[in-house]
Amino acid sequence: MVKAYRQEHVYKHPWERVSAASWRKFADPENKRILSHILEVDTLNRKLDTETGKLHTTRALTIHAPGPWFLHRIIGQDICHCVESTVVDGKSRSMQLTTKNISLKKFIEVEERIRYDPHPENPSAWTVCSQETSIRIKPLSALASMAEKVEQKCAEKFMQNSVKGREVMERICKYMEAESARI
Amino acid sequence: MGLLKKKDSTSARSSTSPCADLRNAYHNCFNKWYSEKFVKGQWDKEECVAEWKKYRDCLSENLDGKLLTRILEVDGELNPTKQADSKESSS
Repeated sequence: MVKAYRQEHVYKHPWERVSAASWRKFADPENKRILSHILEVDTLNRKLDTETGKLHTTRALTIHAPGPWFLHRIIGQDICHCVESTVVDGKSRSMQLTTKNISLKKFIEVEERIRYDPHPENPSAWTVCSQETSIRIKPLSALASMAEKVEQKCAEKFMQNSVKGREVMERICKYMEAESARI
Repeated sequence: MGLLKKKDSTSARSSTSPCADLRNAYHNCFNKWYSEKFVKGQWDKEECVAEWKKYRDCLSENLDGKLLTRILEVDGELNPTKQADSKESSS
């Protein structure tokens, strides 16, 4: 059982700004109120290839994921840890993020892939973001009989949060635009 | 609470990480470097090295080992090539 969702969004900001905003997305105290499900973001590893301009980063996200009561019963927690792996290619101007859950892996696997690339029609000023989310409930898990429902709930939650995430991204971009105009 | 060794579950909601200040210092430095240098093609040199080292030392002292192992496993799945050519980034 796998469900996959694709979304696309065009930011009317250059790739440099949008990718920088992506790094700030979870950290800003003001955004923390909107993206309140993100509790902690820690950088665990970083590697810069000074020849090719490729930057690899691994971050751990701690997410507050209140589920239905039976999830609580089974899992006994409402905190979920995810690992986010990012590759930025400075030369070709691309940023790719992959996020996977670590907690609850026995029951469910959620993988989110986000790419930020210069928009083909206006590569110096616009950025296209494509996002793919796949949700897989393990067929043998204790949740199997409820899997459909859980997948649906999970998907809804993801959609809500990705809309919120986009709003935050737009705001940070605007802020950074104003900031760079002042200098 | 985050990845750190659990003390009690009631603290789960608040950011009580003992590394929070070091983390902010590193992330601020990183963000500045990213938008002022990296995206402008100036990637010939690692920066924020001192901030990174302090923050990383704090994390490795406080991280929950079992959880970290799981994180690294998943990270390995995400980047099958990364492990092979991985070299220490800052030490």
